[in-house]
Amino acid sequence: MRARKISAMLMAGAMVLSLTACGGGTDKTTEAAKTEEPAATEVKTEATTEAKTKEAAEEETDAEGNKIAVAGNQDAEQKLVIWTLSNDLKQFAGHYCENHPDVQIETVVIAPADYPTKVQAAMRGRQAEPDIIVGEPQMLETMYEAGYFEDLNQEPYNAQDYADQEVDYAWQIGQDADGIQRAITYQITPAGVFYRRDIAEKVFGTSDPEEIGKLFADYDTIKTTGQTLKDAGYKIFASEGEMNYWAGDSAWVVDGKLNVDQDRKDYMDLCVYLYQNDMTAYVDAWSTTWYNAMAGEIPVIDADTSVWDDAAMAEAEKSGNTTEVFAYGLPTWGTLVMRDNVKDLSGQWGVCSGPSYGFGGGTYIGISALSENKDLAWDFLKSTTLDADTLNWWVDVSEGDVVSFLPVLEQHKDDENQVYGGEKLYDFFLKQAEGIDTSRITKYDEPLKKAWGEAITAIKTGTMDEESAISNFYDVVESTYPELTVER
Amino acid sequence: MATKIKRTLLYIALTLLAICCMIPFALMIINATRTGSEIANSFSLVPGKALADNWATLSSYFDLFKGMRNSLIVAIPATLLTAYFSAMTAYAMTVYKFKGNKLLFGVIVVFMMIPGQLSLIGFYDLVTNLRLVNSYLPLILPSIAVPGTVFFLRQYCETVLPMPLLEAARMDGASELHIFHKIVLPILSPGIATMSIGAFIGNWNSYLIPLILLNSPDKFTLPVMIASLNSSTDIMRNQGAIYLAVAISVIPILIAFAFCSKYIIGSITAGGVKE
Repeated sequence: MRARKISAMLMAGAMVLSLTACGGGTDKTTEAAKTEEPAATEVKTEATTEAKTKEAAEEETDAEGNKIAVAGNQDAEQKLVIWTLSNDLKQFAGHYCENHPDVQIETVVIAPADYPTKVQAAMRGRQAEPDIIVGEPQMLETMYEAGYFEDLNQEPYNAQDYADQEVDYAWQIGQDADGIQRAITYQITPAGVFYRRDIAEKVFGTSDPEEIGKLFADYDTIKTTGQTLKDAGYKIFASEGEMNYWAGDSAWVVDGKLNVDQDRKDYMDLCVYLYQNDMTAYVDAWSTTWYNAMAGEIPVIDADTSVWDDAAMAEAEKSGNTTEVFAYGLPTWGTLVMRDNVKDLSGQWGVCSGPSYGFGGGTYIGISALSENKDLAWDFLKSTTLDADTLNWWVDVSEGDVVSFLPVLEQHKDDENQVYGGEKLYDFFLKQAEGIDTSRITKYDEPLKKAWGEAITAIKTGTMDEESAISNFYDVVESTYPELTVER
Repeated sequence: MATKIKRTLLYIALTLLAICCMIPFALMIINATRTGSEIANSFSLVPGKALADNWATLSSYFDLFKGMRNSLIVAIPATLLTAYFSAMTAYAMTVYKFKGNKLLFGVIVVFMMIPGQLSLIGFYDLVTNLRLVNSYLPLILPSIAVPGTVFFLRQYCETVLPMPLLEAARMDGASELHIFHKIVLPILSPGIATMSIGAFIGNWNSYLIPLILLNSPDKFTLPVMIASLNSSTDIMRNQGAIYLAVAISVIPILIAFAFCSKYIIGSITAGGVKE
């Protein structure tokens, strides 16, 4: 009896659930309809009304494209399976299917942290699915070594023929240690210094990107710039780690040996200096206040105030002291992050070059070595990364992603971005990309950078002196990567 | 007077504890109604206005209820299998005397201590060779053998199962399976219910193994679907949607818990033998 009772109640529970499911289903349409209203009522000026409605319309179409896991005709003869870690490829897949009615594409989006595990398992099981796999720069070397990617230099692909149409650094990241093309990207991600034009005008008398770039030319100049801004009542950065895209001019690992050169130590000095001399807002990148500072004034807080603590923040605000942040260091996709957060300061920002050349992130697409649809996969890959029409479409849809295909970059060279005072960002980022040296990328970069960052935090907050923090860093490296030689 | 003060203090302390327990839940629900940048920008207990937006974002990425259905397809059979077979094993190990019983118990205890992630790759290879990738079977069937539940129920059997009752049943000519179904299962039900809650929550929240084994988005269980929100380019906007998805996905667990906890309390008082 009891067992029957249990199952009866479980069934009842399931029924209740499916009922709520249906209820939710009907709500969906009404709620979707509602979403447009706030977008229309919030707007103030005519110009923004236009922008907003345009954005809303585009969002709608995007949304439709995103939802469908399988793009294209369900009965289509040819089927391509993509495993990716960002939603971009879903949109590309939808676009591809529009032009190729005989193809359906299934796009599986997997959280970046678990992506390598998922691909590794499938490759171990020698599965013919997926046809297309992707990687971020820090994952690629491991994936090349494991032989997951098809050699794109061989017949019938002949990827090397396209080499001069792509931005050099992005092309090189797609090559394995032997220089064989394994993956191709559609975007470049060089970093730039995003700065406040109005503050620059007030403090330095100019807001010209060339001139401001000189203020960030090297670490010592940044220290002086920070001092000038501090004297004028501003903070140079929100977090002291803003220059991390330009940290270090050499590889972390050279010939199996850990390489900590003077430049790394200088970067460490810079972070500690900025922090200890009260030139930052004492917040972490990507935290609440860090975002707020993009839109203007933030309360002055000292090193001990937790920005996550409401009461402490309220107290800091009550003191009436506010400050403004001058600059951020972000890669190309930072333009979109800023755009969504600058609010009234839209148009007051500018972008200039940093102390050297750096980049962050990027999605590289390749064909799985085990795929059975390699020809179709190559056609998709080619149309996504090496086709002017697709990439022009992408520039529009993504609202400003910087593509890696040179002909399209040339076309958009004179596009002005109004959020950044009409600066020609495509031209700027292309110039930045030309300076990037890919020879210093290793598979150890991300974890080593993180460990080095922890050492910097320990020093700047005074929990460790420089010597023991660095020696602690060496210990961490030695125990994590026994294959590396560490010379202290 | 003194007891009154004591009681007041006790209640204040308990209320505080209760609030501490509720706040994360409340925050989750409140954050489900706020936009991504609001969540990043400040901490608040006042609900926002973005519930509809979040819902729109969420449903633009996937069909949440499909994920729920998929999760239920995995979690319910898995929980039932765990409950039934673990109880059976535990009962046999307590009541029957056979060679190697102790050894078997030792093996079970040892297996309890091996974390599931350790055998992940081997499990994947096995599943590939059985051609069961992208199917729910490898997610459901292994729950027949759950050492932790067997271990718990064995201890439970030893304390609550009255041997005279079983002997009486046997004398009346009941078959062994009949005894198990009609007498043992009802007596064990509080213990089984307790373990079932855990098993259901575990299966419902299971992430790594479904992630590795399921390939087509149509078959993704809820946690795998929700995690894919993290991989979008516009992570900030998705924060609210993630909270909303999590808040909704908790509902079945609440239902399971409400149902099972009532069952536990009801059954603890109703024993098999009046003493």
